[in-house]
Amino acid sequence: MTVATSVFSKSQAERDVSLLQELTELTEHHRAASVEYRRILDAIGHPAGRRYERVADLPWLPVRLFKHHALKSVPDDEVFKVLTSSGTTGAEVSRIFLDKEAAAAQQRMLSATIQTVIGPNRLPMLLVDTKALFKNRRSFSARGAGVLGMMNFGRDHTFVLDENERPDLDAVRGFLAKHGDQPFLIFGFTFMAWLYLYELARDEHLDLSNGILIHSGGWKKLIDQAVDNAEFRRRFAQDTGLTRIHNYYGMVEQIGTVYVEGPSGNGLYCPDFADVIVRDPVTWEEVPVGTPGVIEVVSTLPRSYPGHILLTEDRGVIHGIDDGDWPGKRFSILGRLPRAEARGCSDTFQGAA
Amino acid sequence: MSTVEQRFPTGAPTSVSDLLAEVTSEPPGGRLRVGDPRVSDFLVAFARRLLAPSVARRFPELASLGFFLRRGELEKTIAAATPPLGQLRFPRGVVFHVPPANVDTIFVYSWALSALAGNPNIVRISSRSAGAAVAVLDALNTTLADADPAIAQTQRMVTYGRDDAVTAALSQGCDLRVIWGGDRSVTDIRRHPLRPSARDVTFPDRSSFAVISAAGWRAADAAARRDVAIGLYNDSYWFDQAACASPRAIYWVGEPEAVREARDELFGLLAEVVESKGTEVDAAMSVEKRVSTYGLAAEGVASEVRFAGNAIATVELVEPGLVPRRWLGVGTFPQAQVGSLDDLVSIVERRDQTMSHFGFGTDELVGFAEQLAGRGVDRIVPIGDALTFSSVWDGYDLLREFTRLTTVQSR
Repeated sequence: MTVATSVFSKSQAERDVSLLQELTELTEHHRAASVEYRRILDAIGHPAGRRYERVADLPWLPVRLFKHHALKSVPDDEVFKVLTSSGTTGAEVSRIFLDKEAAAAQQRMLSATIQTVIGPNRLPMLLVDTKALFKNRRSFSARGAGVLGMMNFGRDHTFVLDENERPDLDAVRGFLAKHGDQPFLIFGFTFMAWLYLYELARDEHLDLSNGILIHSGGWKKLIDQAVDNAEFRRRFAQDTGLTRIHNYYGMVEQIGTVYVEGPSGNGLYCPDFADVIVRDPVTWEEVPVGTPGVIEVVSTLPRSYPGHILLTEDRGVIHGIDDGDWPGKRFSILGRLPRAEARGCSDTFQGAA
Repeated sequence: MSTVEQRFPTGAPTSVSDLLAEVTSEPPGGRLRVGDPRVSDFLVAFARRLLAPSVARRFPELASLGFFLRRGELEKTIAAATPPLGQLRFPRGVVFHVPPANVDTIFVYSWALSALAGNPNIVRISSRSAGAAVAVLDALNTTLADADPAIAQTQRMVTYGRDDAVTAALSQGCDLRVIWGGDRSVTDIRRHPLRPSARDVTFPDRSSFAVISAAGWRAADAAARRDVAIGLYNDSYWFDQAACASPRAIYWVGEPEAVREARDELFGLLAEVVESKGTEVDAAMSVEKRVSTYGLAAEGVASEVRFAGNAIATVELVEPGLVPRRWLGVGTFPQAQVGSLDDLVSIVERRDQTMSHFGFGTDELVGFAEQLAGRGVDRIVPIGDALTFSSVWDGYDLLREFTRLTTVQSR
């Protein structure tokens, strides 16, 4: 692949200009196409035709709104695919409506993003997961969909875990014997890559130096082990030779948009069609570089549902702008906001709350 | 036979049959009677511990409980239940209390009144209980040292897991079952049959609202207006606005212009109260409020959603009848303007519990209650008193529910 096709190419200044224009246009598009979205904008003081100076001035929706409301900007008969994600509570599920065009666009942009780090060709692929993932219908939607989506980027898929979720050393050895001398792709959730692949590779002296690891899912499950991103990268490099490691951040509510860690591991980067804004949790104003806050994600991809400007429930911090591996902002995710809980007379709270 | 963990009095795990046998056998000094001094002495001593500054500072809701259990209050409650000539009031029998799991102190009120009525009580304490509930259990156990042995024998608080066998056995063994915790909890517990002679007192899901007269507001002086703001603050922020009696909507009665003026002033004052109390509504709750209020807008229920910081959100309802009733996050106030109290009659539902008010005369309030005729709203109290527990609750006169009457006629 060539640098020209990279989706990590726009400086912040360029991005600010194009995103403001495109996101403002998208806001008007969704206003016209979704009565629910129009009502929200009207209620929160963003009437039609309002001018915006900065991307940060555009109205955001809390991402969890998609768990309670069917928000879409296409007629029912044009809905091609409904994506769902189970939240941590299990009961709440986001519903994301895609028409044909949006489904194609998200796939295209995801490919362009991932190919920035793996190149244009499908590589032999090691999956830090179990094939049983696709047999268990219950767990399929959450983890399985993520794995399945990434499988498109590889070939000769080999699972690190057997059907009983135990490391399958023979399978990994076989894979490495066949493909280990050329670039190969490794995909898995962060905690699984650590618990199953790292430990296996270290103990069995496996050579992963030609691997490109793409992982996601957060560090919460690794807190007990005192493993953060730096330690993760250091130990993989030291004990397995694996140095090409890319964490990424994304959510089903902005399907197709993934924020990818740069080669040097100094933060996540935004593809050209997206950006992040960090907000103060009290004033909700944008905070300066270096100040932690709540992450807002913007992307020009969501056209079939009003998910182009979303306030996440993740805390994060921007480390720098136009100063890293790739142009634009580089940032880290610091964790999730705690879930608000109320006490009261009733054991359970009905309705949307 | 399944066992239960004994939280008050603390003790080794015991079986339900032993528990029932112990509480129903006659204690030394005779069976408890209505208003038994052994119980009231215990409750008064317990109240004193709740009112101790160290406890009251940590859990202000326990101080209210302490006030409720002062000797004078208990005597008033007993006096109010004095039966007419020719009738005698006696304890009902074994009372099984199922309080809400998500820690509330409300169960202490229901237990205390039932104990005051002379009943042996078994209270199920959630294994998830923490904070104020634990402080209550500590205070009860400490108070026990100087109490009559009849208390320890007949008053029991126990914890058990999701054990249907225990619930079933206690349901079979009691004369009255008191179920708090809302619709789901009531439906769940009701799967277990009672003895034919026994019955339930249930506290299903409820919601509440406030009404303010714009004319009354205009007539009030600055101090009275500030008191309304403080009262609204206490009613709303104390239990994260999730108590059944916390207002989940405000209706303004009056002309639109006068209402607008009064509303702006009240929320300005409320912001000052929030500020002075140092109330912090964190980011997660603020997001929760946006999810719920933006949702109301999406549904076409809200025409305007405004945030004054994280602590206060106001929601303009498209129509007064579209009141959401559900919990929207602490400090969220859906509002609507109506011409008169009469306009609310058709909006009120059975599940509406407390109407807190400001600016109305007694006649107006009584007239409104008569129009409702019991179809909804069990309490009409001034703003600021919404959470003040009373022995009449949810339409029940609890001391009467916890007792039985014997009629004696002679020729």
